[in-house]
Amino acid sequence: MTSPSAALLAPDDGALDLAAVVKALSGSFAVVTGGAQVVRQARLDTFDHRLRDAGLVLEHQVTAAEGRLVLIGPDAVTTRVTPVAGLSWPALAGALPEGALRDALAPVSGIRALMVTSEERRRVRRVELHDQDGKTVARLQLDEPVAKTSAVPAEVRVLPLRGYDEAARRTSTILAALGLRPASDDAVLDDVPPPASPDRIAPAPVLLAGVLREFLSAMQANLPGLLDDVDTEFLHDFRVAVRRTRSTLKLGRPALPDEMRSRWEPAFKWLGDLTTPVRDLDVYELDLPVMSGWLVAAEPADLGPFAAHLRRRRTAERRALVRGLRSARFTRLVADWEPALTDLADVDAEGSTVPTAGELADRIITRTFRRVARDGGAITPDSPAEDLHSLRKRCKELRYSLEVFSGVIDKAARKQAVTDLKGLQDVLGRFQDSEVQRHALRKFAEEMVTDGTSAGAVLAMGELVGHLDGEQDRAHQDFQRAFGRFVRPSSTARLQSLGGRG
Amino acid sequence: MRVYASYNIKGGVGKTTTAVNLAYLSAREGARTLLWDLDPQAAATFLFRVRPRVKGGSHALVTRKRPIEEALKATDFENLDLLPADFSYRNMDLDLDDTKKRTRRLGQLLATVADDYDVVFLDCPPSVSLVSENVLHAADVLLVPLIPATLSLRTFDQLTRFVADSEGRRPEVVAFFSMADRRKRLHREVIATISRDQARVAVTVIPALSIIEQMAELRAPVPAFAPSSVAAQCYEQLWAEVRP
Ligand SMILES: Nc1ncnc2c1ncn2[C@@H]1O[C@H](COP(=O)(O)OP(=O)(O)O)[C@@H](O)[C@H]1O
Ligand SMILES: [Mg+2]
Repeated sequence: MTSPSAALLAPDDGALDLAAVVKALSGSFAVVTGGAQVVRQARLDTFDHRLRDAGLVLEHQVTAAEGRLVLIGPDAVTTRVTPVAGLSWPALAGALPEGALRDALAPVSGIRALMVTSEERRRVRRVELHDQDGKTVARLQLDEPVAKTSAVPAEVRVLPLRGYDEAARRTSTILAALGLRPASDDAVLDDVPPPASPDRIAPAPVLLAGVLREFLSAMQANLPGLLDDVDTEFLHDFRVAVRRTRSTLKLGRPALPDEMRSRWEPAFKWLGDLTTPVRDLDVYELDLPVMSGWLVAAEPADLGPFAAHLRRRRTAERRALVRGLRSARFTRLVADWEPALTDLADVDAEGSTVPTAGELADRIITRTFRRVARDGGAITPDSPAEDLHSLRKRCKELRYSLEVFSGVIDKAARKQAVTDLKGLQDVLGRFQDSEVQRHALRKFAEEMVTDGTSAGAVLAMGELVGHLDGEQDRAHQDFQRAFGRFVRPSSTARLQSLGGRG
Repeated sequence: MRVYASYNIKGGVGKTTTAVNLAYLSAREGARTLLWDLDPQAAATFLFRVRPRVKGGSHALVTRKRPIEEALKATDFENLDLLPADFSYRNMDLDLDDTKKRTRRLGQLLATVADDYDVVFLDCPPSVSLVSENVLHAADVLLVPLIPATLSLRTFDQLTRFVADSEGRRPEVVAFFSMADRRKRLHREVIATISRDQARVAVTVIPALSIIEQMAELRAPVPAFAPSSVAAQCYEQLWAEVRP
């Protein structure tokens, strides 16, 4: 209920001298030292460090006798402890026991699984400080690595007791006089420096090779979690990197060698298609709670057979996905792509005809923007769905070109342009998703009928289809307003300035 | 938050012993538990080795000059905090009498820490007073230790009538026998013949055991220093009967 102090370290991050600590404290307290206990201590976080970014530290501590989860809040102000048994990682927050710790953690980790980021065995000793009545007025926790080589040095924490702040303060003063000093957390937050951006006069292929290499790293980083099915975001992020790769290849055609078009565009299309079925099923599973909120006549339980159907289909589709990602074709794709990018960056700018990064950026942003403005202006309330779908593709091209060339265009103008575009993309996304999901739900329902599902389940899905139909109409109605905002003079001027000319 | 009051009009019947041991068991189960020692004699405070001192005394607490959070003390046991007694509690009736809702004040004070605790124990002084009236209104369960003697059954009658006559929300009354000696014929008879019409009587009987008297020497709850003793098992059984 009272907060532990920040960790204190010995001078030079060395070992702790327990005898010296006890001696120094004996002048003020009766000191009772407990036996040492070896704790296997695993640090946990999501793959994208959501806990670290929120200032949280989560540890799974296991001793011979018990296991517990400890969540330390920002600035060590709050600590929550939950006894746990039989937990294995990775796990979603939903798999933890109900209680205050889970309540504090779940909104932060969200749909990402908690994974072990580091693990080590520590020797932990408790020291109790008593007053004349034998009442404990403060505790110390000495925590040392078992292994000689450890990234985390030995540390002491003062654990104050409610109503005995004075004793804790005195303890901290005594420890400071021994040369123990607060650990700073700077070392932990080793933020990656931003990659150096090429300037506008660099050859365009150098810039493109750079962004393509980033997408490749993203694919590689997400691959293990995707194969192990840690959480749905690994596949999602992997697909985003593939999609960006494909768009970059397409947008960059004027500056790229033919091989990119003939060999690599189809290769990444294959990879994108390979990952689509599982992602589609993930989306329905993630949306189920929202969808059950749409039901009017049916009960959420009526969607049970649908959920089970999705699960079965996903298991089957995942098998195909994993087979594809373990195939020789995929291995070769990754193995060959790397040197291809090295070759790409190795252009001889001298006397060559390739455009500079700045020239390519201007040309492409101007072209994609014009297309969005032209196609969007032609949309009327009676336009067929296909027109809105193709406009959505145009918008995506513009969005990707703003991302791919972000290093060589004005930062502030780009940010505002993305915001303007996003409003339009959201409406178009709602429109198309409603349509795609409606068709998919009908198909799922047919499959379920073949499998002999209940009438209740089919009726509930009918309600979902009806809701999506209404949603698509609403999106169509919202389109004009979003487009109006996108083509208002200030937005247009901004995008044109990005493209260099009108 | 569930409030238990250990209460009897008589002294020396095991109120403090019960409050201390059950509060310890509640905390040991993981419930955030508070024990408020309302008796100016400060027996529970002594058993937890805490100094019987509250800044500003009863007056500052009752008038809300100081929030009760400031007076809280952690015990040596995880999840268990103590609101200590203070000698000024002997005047608590007078302090309460001056407040607006004179019979609800203690309940109002407890409400200020309702988010911090799952279980609260009130260790009450032996009397019929404004303090005890406050306790009746604040408590969900009134735990009444009875020594199996004819006289104590008469005071129990008085007590149940006192509860029945009080206005508004009434706590559930759970009586139980404490310091029972099965070798004594009278004890056996009283335990066998108590009427279960006027109040619930717990099945668990706490026998007279010398290890329970040792609490005062060792200054700790029985299940903390003798976890597998018969006495500890008896309190565990009693807690199982009344726990939330
Ligand atoms: N079951 C028991 N067996 C033996 N002694 C007991 C038992 N319960 C209480 N005592 C002792 O009886 C005395 C009075 O108990 P206490 O809990 O302080 O009563 P109260 O709070 O009602 O005045 C204390 O010395 C206590 O140790
Ligand atoms: Mg007492």
